[in-house]
Amino acid sequence: MPIEFQSDQAVLLDIVTVEEAETLLEWLQENPAAKVNLADCTHLHPANLQVLMAAKSGIDAWPKEAGLRAWLESALSD
Amino acid sequence: MKRILIIDDAATVRLYHREILETGSFVVEEAMNGVEALEKALQSSFDLYLVDINMPKLDGYGFLRELRSRDLPQAPAIMISTEAQAFDEQRAYAAGANLYLIKPVKPDQLLAQVRVLLGELTP
Amino acid sequence: MNPLLEQFLSEARDFLQGISTKLMELEDAPDDAALMGELFRLVHTLKGNSGLFDFPEMTRVLHAGEDLMDAVRNGRVEYSQILADRLLNAMDFVGMLCDEIESEGAMGSTHGTDAARLGESLRELMQSADKAPDESSAPAAGTAADVETPDVQTSARLPLANIAEAARMEAYRRASAGDPLHWLAYAPDEQCFYQGDDPFFLVRQTPELLWGGIEARESWPPLADLDAYACVLDFGLLTAASRPELEEQYRYVIDQVTLTPVAPLALIVPQGDTNGGPVYDDFISDAQELLHAGDLAGLSRSVATMLELSNPELWVASALRWLQLVVESEAATAAATPAIVDALLESLHSMEVPNWEGVDATLLAGESSESAPAPASAPVATLSAALSAEECQALEAIVTAQRAVLSQPEDSGLLPGRIQSAVAALSGCLRACGDQTAVPSLEAVMAEALAANSGAALLAWLDERFPAGALEFTASDAQSPTQSAAESSLDHQSASAQASATSASAASTAAPPAAEGEVKFGRRAEDAIAGPKSLKVDQTKIDRLMGLIGEMVVAKNGLPYLASRAEEKFGVRELSRDIKGHYAVINRIAEEMQDAIMQVRMMPVSFVFQRFPRLVRDISRKLGKDVHLVMEGEDTEADKNIIESLGDPLVHIVRNSLDHGLESPEARADAGKPATGTLSLRAMQESDRVVIEIKDDGQGIDPEVIKRKAYAKGLIDEATLERISNQDAVNLIFAAGLSTAETVSDLSGRGVGMDVVRSAVENVNGSIALTSVLGQGTQLRMSLPLSMAVTNVMIVVSNDQPFGVPMDSVVETVRVPRSSIRTIKRSLATVLRGHVVPLKSLNTLLGIEAPHQPNADDELAVLVVRLGDETLGLLVDDFRETVDIILKPMTGVLASLSAYSGSALMGDGSVLMVLNVKEIL
Repeated sequence: MPIEFQSDQAVLLDIVTVEEAETLLEWLQENPAAKVNLADCTHLHPANLQVLMAAKSGIDAWPKEAGLRAWLESALSD
Repeated sequence: MKRILIIDDAATVRLYHREILETGSFVVEEAMNGVEALEKALQSSFDLYLVDINMPKLDGYGFLRELRSRDLPQAPAIMISTEAQAFDEQRAYAAGANLYLIKPVKPDQLLAQVRVLLGELTP
Repeated sequence: MNPLLEQFLSEARDFLQGISTKLMELEDAPDDAALMGELFRLVHTLKGNSGLFDFPEMTRVLHAGEDLMDAVRNGRVEYSQILADRLLNAMDFVGMLCDEIESEGAMGSTHGTDAARLGESLRELMQSADKAPDESSAPAAGTAADVETPDVQTSARLPLANIAEAARMEAYRRASAGDPLHWLAYAPDEQCFYQGDDPFFLVRQTPELLWGGIEARESWPPLADLDAYACVLDFGLLTAASRPELEEQYRYVIDQVTLTPVAPLALIVPQGDTNGGPVYDDFISDAQELLHAGDLAGLSRSVATMLELSNPELWVASALRWLQLVVESEAATAAATPAIVDALLESLHSMEVPNWEGVDATLLAGESSESAPAPASAPVATLSAALSAEECQALEAIVTAQRAVLSQPEDSGLLPGRIQSAVAALSGCLRACGDQTAVPSLEAVMAEALAANSGAALLAWLDERFPAGALEFTASDAQSPTQSAAESSLDHQSASAQASATSASAASTAAPPAAEGEVKFGRRAEDAIAGPKSLKVDQTKIDRLMGLIGEMVVAKNGLPYLASRAEEKFGVRELSRDIKGHYAVINRIAEEMQDAIMQVRMMPVSFVFQRFPRLVRDISRKLGKDVHLVMEGEDTEADKNIIESLGDPLVHIVRNSLDHGLESPEARADAGKPATGTLSLRAMQESDRVVIEIKDDGQGIDPEVIKRKAYAKGLIDEATLERISNQDAVNLIFAAGLSTAETVSDLSGRGVGMDVVRSAVENVNGSIALTSVLGQGTQLRMSLPLSMAVTNVMIVVSNDQPFGVPMDSVVETVRVPRSSIRTIKRSLATVLRGHVVPLKSLNTLLGIEAPHQPNADDELAVLVVRLGDETLGLLVDDFRETVDIILKPMTGVLASLSAYSGSALMGDGSVLMVLNVKEIL
């Protein structure tokens, strides 16, 4: 599972594929206050990114990989 | 359902085109070279041919010339080539192609071309 | 791994093997043109295949290889040992990439440099040959004609201010070092996720990426309304890569990409807190003096001091940093430096964005000499409001192409064929525009053209119906948009090859020396040869084996006859027993052999199943339905022909289910069902049949509706309407000419009904059954033979000729006294166990005049056969044994004889004709 859903945090791991987007969307609808941990994420399909952007989820941890982090910061920080 | 014959020696390309065309409700048959394609065209009629150029035995030009010189229902043919030269395009028309596309053809583009050629109305 | 990729890898291995074999052969026969042509074709096809995937490194190397082989083939470059070495080396690289893709599922990102060098090493061989004749003209071509200068004003409109200062400064430095800067805006198609695209991955792989950002196309809807699979992201990025490199990277989506050259000056946008700061007019005037005195070093020191005094968060600090950077990289801006510094100083004074109007942009370095961008394609406005943009482009391209087709020289026998095909294409265009009414006029013109043996009449019609002005062509000459785009991108590629060649010689410090440029990928030759896991065999070879084993089976059947002859005619009982013993052994081996060959032809059902997840997803989305697809038993195997014949019927059935069976989420909710419908595809083996079940939990089929429809269409009469059972009514769906949907949708229907599905299944000796419960769903069950290779037939004799009848249609054999055969309304019939069975004479059916021969008891032989739900008696002269045969379809002129389904070779060398019972009755 590239996403671990904890009580108040979704932890994205490695490569998060297009198939996960639906699950992520449903989970964020049920847990609107949840934060997202991207520390160990190396890539995520833009469908997932859209979900995170639309949900305006708070980010607990940015990706360790600088390149990905720079991209995501442009999309997810406000 | 409209029937389309894909003629290409590369199985990968045939599968690629097949997958595109099948999303558009077309029935697809395949031939691996011009000779096989001609046999199929003589046995049953197709509504459209998708023709590669470089093939063993009988190439795309040869196939089209054979097809066009026979007393058969003359369905349109799309020649799909890797050569983006005006010279090749004219050669394709002279042989009997009705459209000349450059590989790889994007799925939406191919579907649109095929729909229009076959007179399928957009829903 | 997806099947397309799997297919590619397996085929790529074959091609690589073929390429190295051909190269080896060429070593011995370097002048063999046919061999050379074949080699070119292999490289060419492999390159074409790789172009279907996002493997730019692989495609780049193969493209170079293809160009080189083309040059060799045309005699422009001579075949040499070095050439073979380099090509083999390049193919090893491609093989390595294939291995990596197979094991990792993707290609590593670290091969760019190797690919570039390998490509270079191949092109080098070509350039050294090309240089001689073209040297004078070649360099001039790319430079003067189409120079693309980044313009400060245009660049200033780009959202460059969003980019972090550090990234902009890095970009400025790169530009000063001579790299081109581009702003790339990529607005992916909304549907692109369905095509398996990952735009984010694509942008992350952008060469020479300096900065990238992602924005939403519009404000976000509430989460509940969000469609995660419609892409609404826009990507923007700054890169120091050249236009050709970027066009290569984005070649599949080039129409969704806007590329703008960035003027380095536009990057200089000081940012920060505008309140406060130690800016003294003294500094500005001092700096101006230093500048005019040409003391840039002094200026730099002065700026550094000011920076130390300033809070880095301030706007002025940012401006000072830029000033410092401009002064540091003054070599790049050369003569324009004072003007730039002046403008920056002025800006420091006014606290406004620097004004570059006084700066002569043409003096700036960092501008790249590249050709103009490919013209954006404008959609056709008139004529075709109903068509999508894609289809408008298609229409335009097709009409243009038909002009070209009809304008071809008329000196060949192809003209009538060309005219007819062009008319077919144009009538498609008319119908696509919703203008069916114009088709007859087009056909009239075609008749005229055919009579005159000239395309002129049609060209005139074209000018009138599709005047060139109505369709706005993108290129000034009549070329299709696809072609012009492809052509110009090709130009870029060759331009870049030129450019890199020249820059390599000019800046020899930056590029590695040519000798080191050779990269070795020879590991495949040294490694132990890894044997392929499977063997690919041409199907004709398997078919030959099938034919041979068929003959063997029949030949061995001659042995029992031989045994009985040995005993009865020659009285050698012992020999007879020995023959029988041997027969048992041969029989067992033959059966096993047959089984083994069948196994070779076996394929898993997944071959046809694999397309459904995508198909179901696409179609259900189009229809606005929620459908969950369940597939089971994909590993179930059956003969290749059976599996292949399953494809189209299954697609049709699944479409029907999605279209007519499963309801919309609202309707399902109203009916108290879960909003998501379930469609299941199950395959399983049941004894010697493979069974495919397609089941949905949709609305089911209403037998009343079917009955009324069938009655209305005259398929059943009133009496039948009264007494027909619900199941029988549902089965009417298989009758020709009955379409259940009220309106024929674009997805299923199209005039093809379940009758076509049924006959496709029956063609391979399968059967299909349908059960449906109104409101609860529909289930279709197809039962197919595991193999169609062996047919069990009964031999009957009529007029001294043997005929085969497939056993699956035979019910029983009876002998009926001639006296019990009655003539009812000029047809023959008899009564069997209380049922009237109509009789037909085989002789009459086959046009043989002779009457049937009764046996000694004056009885006639009747073969009772099943025909759909009815039974029927076939009058013949006599019955013989049943045999297993390999049925060969009729070919050549015989193929038109529908009375026979095929022929088989018998043990004694004679040919048995097998009757097609359905056709003759």
